[in-house]
Amino acid sequence: MVSVFGSRLAKMAALGLLVFTLTGCYESASDVTLYEPGVYKGSDDPLLNQAGSAEREDALRERFGGQRDR
Amino acid sequence: MARMKFLCDAERCIECNACVTACKNENEVPWGVNRRRVVTINDGVPGEKSISVACMHCTDAPCAAVCPVDCFYTTDDGIVLHDKDLCIGCGYCFYACPFGAPQYPQQEAFGVRGKMDKCTFCAGGPTANNSNDEYAKYGANRVAEGKLPACAEMCSTKALLAGDGDMVADIFRERTLRRSGRPQTWGWEQAYGAGV
Repeated sequence: MVSVFGSRLAKMAALGLLVFTLTGCYESASDVTLYEPGVYKGSDDPLLNQAGSAEREDALRERFGGQRDR
Repeated sequence: MARMKFLCDAERCIECNACVTACKNENEVPWGVNRRRVVTINDGVPGEKSISVACMHCTDAPCAAVCPVDCFYTTDDGIVLHDKDLCIGCGYCFYACPFGAPQYPQQEAFGVRGKMDKCTFCAGGPTANNSNDEYAKYGANRVAEGKLPACAEMCSTKALLAGDGDMVADIFRERTLRRSGRPQTWGWEQAYGAGV
Protein backbone atom coordinates (compact mmCIF):
# COMPACT_ATOMS: atom_id res chain seq x y z
CA MET A 1 0.00 0.00 0.00
CA VAL A 2 2.80 2.36 0.98
CA SER A 3 4.90 1.43 -2.07
CA VAL A 4 1.95 2.07 -4.46
CA PHE A 5 1.36 5.44 -2.83
CA GLY A 6 5.11 6.12 -2.96
CA SER A 7 5.45 5.29 -6.65
CA ARG A 8 2.43 7.42 -7.50
CA LEU A 9 3.93 10.29 -5.51
CA ALA A 10 7.23 9.83 -7.33
CA LYS A 11 5.45 9.92 -10.71
CA MET A 12 3.57 13.06 -9.75
CA ALA A 13 6.79 14.66 -8.52
CA ALA A 14 8.59 13.72 -11.76
CA LEU A 15 5.71 15.12 -13.82
CA GLY A 16 5.76 18.31 -11.76
CA LEU A 17 9.51 18.62 -12.22
CA LEU A 18 9.16 18.06 -15.97
CA VAL A 19 6.48 20.75 -16.28
CA PHE A 20 8.59 23.09 -14.16
CA THR A 21 11.72 22.58 -16.26
CA LEU A 22 9.86 22.88 -19.58
CA THR A 23 8.34 26.17 -18.47
CA GLY A 24 11.68 27.79 -19.17
CA CYS A 25 11.53 26.57 -22.78
CA TYR A 26 8.37 28.52 -23.54
CA GLU A 27 8.98 31.29 -26.00
CA SER A 28 6.33 33.60 -27.30
CA ALA A 29 6.72 34.59 -30.94
CA SER A 30 5.41 38.03 -30.12
CA ASP A 31 8.31 38.68 -27.74
CA VAL A 32 10.85 38.57 -30.57
CA THR A 33 11.84 41.88 -32.06
CA LEU A 34 11.95 41.20 -35.75
CA TYR A 35 12.50 44.65 -37.11
CA GLU A 36 12.98 47.96 -35.44
CA PRO A 37 14.86 50.25 -37.78
CA GLY A 38 16.03 53.64 -36.70
CA VAL A 39 15.14 56.86 -38.44
CA TYR A 40 17.32 57.64 -41.47
CA LYS A 41 19.72 60.40 -40.56
CA GLY A 42 21.43 61.03 -43.90
CA SER A 43 20.84 63.66 -46.54
CA ASP A 44 17.78 63.68 -48.82
CA ASP A 45 17.78 61.77 -52.08
CA PRO A 46 16.49 63.85 -55.02
CA LEU A 47 15.27 60.58 -56.56
CA LEU A 48 12.53 60.48 -53.93
CA ASN A 49 11.03 63.72 -55.28
CA GLN A 50 11.00 62.19 -58.72
CA ALA A 51 9.09 59.11 -57.60
CA GLY A 52 5.68 60.17 -58.83
CA SER A 53 6.91 61.30 -62.24
CA ALA A 54 4.58 59.86 -64.88
CA GLU A 55 7.25 60.20 -67.55
CA ARG A 56 9.71 58.04 -65.60
CA GLU A 57 7.02 55.52 -64.70
CA ASP A 58 6.12 55.12 -68.38
CA ALA A 59 9.76 54.70 -69.36
CA LEU A 60 10.28 52.06 -66.67
CA ARG A 61 7.12 50.21 -67.67
CA GLU A 62 8.34 50.10 -71.26
CA ARG A 63 11.64 48.62 -70.04
CA PHE A 64 9.83 46.06 -67.90
CA GLY A 65 7.99 44.89 -71.00
CA GLY A 66 11.28 44.41 -72.80
CA GLN A 67 12.14 41.58 -70.44
CA ARG A 68 9.37 39.38 -71.79
CA ASP A 69 10.26 36.72 -74.33
CA ARG A 70 9.84 37.66 -77.94
CA MET B 1 3.94 52.70 -57.56
CA ALA B 2 6.38 49.94 -58.46
CA ARG B 3 8.07 47.78 -55.84
CA MET B 4 11.44 46.98 -57.38
CA LYS B 5 12.74 43.41 -57.11
CA PHE B 6 15.31 41.14 -58.72
CA LEU B 7 14.62 37.56 -59.70
CA CYS B 8 17.12 35.18 -61.26
CA ASP B 9 15.69 32.27 -63.21
CA ALA B 10 17.98 29.34 -62.37
CA GLU B 11 16.71 27.40 -65.39
CA ARG B 12 18.03 30.10 -67.73
CA CYS B 13 21.21 31.37 -66.09
CA ILE B 14 24.20 30.10 -68.05
CA GLU B 15 26.84 31.43 -65.64
CA CYS B 16 28.27 33.82 -68.24
CA ASN B 17 28.90 36.52 -65.60
CA ALA B 18 27.78 39.24 -68.01
CA CYS B 19 25.67 40.72 -65.20
CA VAL B 20 28.76 40.99 -62.99
CA THR B 21 30.72 42.64 -65.79
CA ALA B 22 27.86 44.98 -66.68
CA CYS B 23 27.56 46.05 -63.04
CA LYS B 24 31.28 46.66 -62.66
CA ASN B 25 31.44 48.56 -65.92
CA GLU B 26 28.33 50.67 -65.39
CA ASN B 27 29.19 51.67 -61.84
CA GLU B 28 33.00 51.73 -62.00
CA VAL B 29 33.07 49.39 -59.03
CA PRO B 30 36.55 49.30 -57.46
CA TRP B 31 38.78 46.24 -57.28
CA GLY B 32 37.84 43.83 -54.53
CA VAL B 33 34.18 44.83 -54.55
CA ASN B 34 31.54 42.74 -56.28
CA ARG B 35 28.09 44.20 -56.02
CA ARG B 36 26.79 41.22 -57.97
CA ARG B 37 28.14 37.71 -58.36
CA VAL B 38 27.04 34.44 -59.88
CA VAL B 39 26.72 31.49 -57.53
CA THR B 40 26.74 27.97 -58.94
CA ILE B 41 25.36 25.04 -57.04
CA ASN B 42 26.79 21.58 -57.80
CA ASP B 43 29.37 23.11 -60.12
CA GLY B 44 30.65 20.61 -62.67
CA VAL B 45 27.94 18.09 -61.93
CA PRO B 46 25.23 17.45 -64.54
CA GLY B 47 22.20 19.51 -63.62
CA GLU B 48 24.19 22.29 -61.97
CA LYS B 49 22.28 25.49 -61.35
CA SER B 50 23.50 29.07 -61.26
CA ILE B 51 21.92 32.21 -59.95
CA SER B 52 23.05 35.80 -59.97
CA VAL B 53 22.98 37.36 -56.51
CA ALA B 54 23.18 40.96 -55.31
CA CYS B 55 21.29 43.10 -52.83
CA MET B 56 17.71 41.87 -52.97
CA HIS B 57 16.31 45.19 -51.75
CA CYS B 58 14.41 43.50 -48.94
CA THR B 59 11.05 44.91 -47.93
CA ASP B 60 12.05 44.40 -44.30
CA ALA B 61 15.77 45.01 -44.72
CA PRO B 62 17.86 43.55 -41.87
CA CYS B 63 20.83 45.76 -42.80
CA ALA B 64 18.76 48.83 -41.97
CA ALA B 65 17.63 47.26 -38.71
CA VAL B 66 21.16 46.72 -37.42
CA CYS B 67 22.84 49.89 -38.70
CA PRO B 68 24.10 51.81 -35.67
CA VAL B 69 24.21 55.12 -37.55
CA ASP B 70 20.89 54.68 -39.42
CA CYS B 71 22.35 55.34 -42.84
CA PHE B 72 19.84 53.19 -44.76
CA TYR B 73 16.64 54.35 -46.37
CA THR B 74 14.09 52.83 -48.72
CA THR B 75 12.77 54.73 -51.72
CA ASP B 76 9.10 54.77 -52.65
CA ASP B 77 10.00 52.20 -55.28
CA GLY B 78 11.23 49.84 -52.56
CA ILE B 79 14.94 50.27 -53.36
CA VAL B 80 17.20 50.05 -50.30
CA LEU B 81 19.95 52.67 -50.44
CA HIS B 82 22.42 54.12 -47.99
CA ASP B 83 24.35 57.30 -47.29
CA LYS B 84 28.12 56.77 -47.51
CA ASP B 85 28.77 60.02 -45.67
CA LEU B 86 27.17 58.48 -42.60
CA CYS B 87 28.48 54.91 -42.94
CA ILE B 88 31.25 54.06 -40.49
CA GLY B 89 32.17 50.73 -42.09
CA CYS B 90 31.35 48.74 -38.95
CA GLY B 91 30.28 45.66 -40.91
CA TYR B 92 27.07 44.99 -38.97
CA CYS B 93 25.04 45.07 -42.19
CA PHE B 94 27.32 42.41 -43.66
CA TYR B 95 26.59 40.09 -40.75
CA ALA B 96 22.86 40.81 -40.94
CA CYS B 97 22.47 40.39 -44.71
CA PRO B 98 21.46 36.84 -45.72
CA PHE B 99 22.82 37.41 -49.25
CA GLY B 100 26.28 38.80 -48.42
CA ALA B 101 25.43 41.94 -50.37
CA PRO B 102 27.36 44.59 -48.41
CA GLN B 103 30.94 44.92 -49.65
CA TYR B 104 33.90 46.88 -48.31
CA PRO B 105 36.53 48.42 -50.55
CA GLN B 106 39.56 48.55 -48.27
CA GLN B 107 41.41 45.83 -46.53
CA GLU B 108 44.12 47.57 -44.57
CA ALA B 109 45.88 47.12 -41.29
CA PHE B 110 43.74 47.24 -38.13
CA GLY B 111 40.66 45.98 -39.96
CA VAL B 112 39.79 49.27 -41.65
CA ARG B 113 37.12 48.35 -44.17
CA GLY B 114 36.10 51.67 -45.66
CA LYS B 115 32.55 52.72 -46.49
CA MET B 116 30.14 49.95 -47.27
CA ASP B 117 29.28 49.50 -50.94
CA LYS B 118 26.38 47.52 -52.34
CA CYS B 119 24.03 47.21 -55.29
CA THR B 120 21.90 50.33 -55.61
CA PHE B 121 19.54 48.90 -58.23
CA CYS B 122 21.35 51.46 -60.40
CA ALA B 123 19.53 54.18 -58.47
CA GLY B 124 22.55 56.09 -57.13
CA GLY B 125 22.37 57.57 -53.66
CA PRO B 126 21.43 60.64 -51.66
CA THR B 127 23.20 63.22 -53.81
CA ALA B 128 22.13 65.16 -56.90
CA ASN B 129 20.92 62.77 -59.60
CA ASN B 130 23.63 61.80 -62.08
CA SER B 131 26.15 64.21 -60.57
CA ASN B 132 29.86 63.43 -60.50
CA ASP B 133 29.66 63.10 -56.74
CA GLU B 134 26.88 60.53 -57.01
CA TYR B 135 28.72 58.57 -59.67
CA ALA B 136 31.95 58.49 -57.66
CA LYS B 137 30.23 57.34 -54.47
CA TYR B 138 27.36 55.17 -55.66
CA GLY B 139 27.68 54.62 -59.39
CA ALA B 140 25.17 55.23 -62.13
CA ASN B 141 21.62 56.41 -61.57
CA ARG B 142 19.77 54.67 -64.38
CA VAL B 143 16.44 54.58 -62.53
CA ALA B 144 16.31 58.41 -62.56
CA GLU B 145 16.57 58.18 -66.35
CA GLY B 146 13.75 55.63 -66.56
CA LYS B 147 16.08 52.68 -67.13
CA LEU B 148 16.36 49.36 -65.33
CA PRO B 149 19.62 48.08 -63.75
CA ALA B 150 22.38 47.36 -66.26
CA CYS B 151 22.81 43.75 -65.06
CA ALA B 152 19.24 42.78 -65.93
CA GLU B 153 19.12 44.68 -69.19
CA MET B 154 22.39 43.05 -70.30
CA CYS B 155 21.29 39.49 -69.51
CA SER B 156 21.40 37.60 -72.79
CA THR B 157 19.07 34.79 -71.72
CA LYS B 158 16.80 37.12 -69.73
CA ALA B 159 17.46 34.96 -66.70
CA LEU B 160 17.94 38.00 -64.49
CA LEU B 161 14.74 39.99 -64.23
CA ALA B 162 14.46 43.38 -62.55
CA GLY B 163 11.52 45.64 -62.05
CA ASP B 164 8.19 45.83 -60.35
CA GLY B 165 7.71 42.72 -58.24
CA ASP B 166 4.26 41.94 -59.66
CA MET B 167 5.50 42.26 -63.22
CA VAL B 168 8.57 40.12 -62.54
CA ALA B 169 6.38 37.45 -60.92
CA ASP B 170 4.04 37.58 -63.92
CA ILE B 171 6.89 37.05 -66.40
CA PHE B 172 8.25 34.16 -64.31
CA ARG B 173 4.82 32.56 -64.01
CA GLU B 174 4.36 32.71 -67.79
CA ARG B 175 7.72 31.03 -68.32
CA THR B 176 7.14 28.20 -65.90
CA LEU B 177 3.75 27.49 -67.38
CA ARG B 178 5.32 27.38 -70.84
CA ARG B 179 7.88 24.91 -69.53
CA SER B 180 4.92 22.65 -68.71
CA GLY B 181 5.58 22.81 -65.04
CA ARG B 182 4.54 24.70 -62.02
CA PRO B 183 6.71 27.39 -60.42
CA GLN B 184 9.29 25.61 -58.31
CA THR B 185 10.63 28.58 -56.43
CA TRP B 186 8.10 27.72 -53.76
CA GLY B 187 5.65 24.96 -53.07
CA TRP B 188 5.62 21.43 -51.79
CA GLU B 189 8.40 19.93 -53.91
CA GLN B 190 10.76 22.77 -53.16
CA ALA B 191 10.17 22.46 -49.43
CA TYR B 192 10.04 18.67 -49.08
CA GLY B 193 11.55 17.28 -52.26
CA ALA B 194 9.95 15.41 -55.12
CA GLY B 195 8.17 12.16 -54.37
CA VAL B 196 7.46 12.95 -50.72
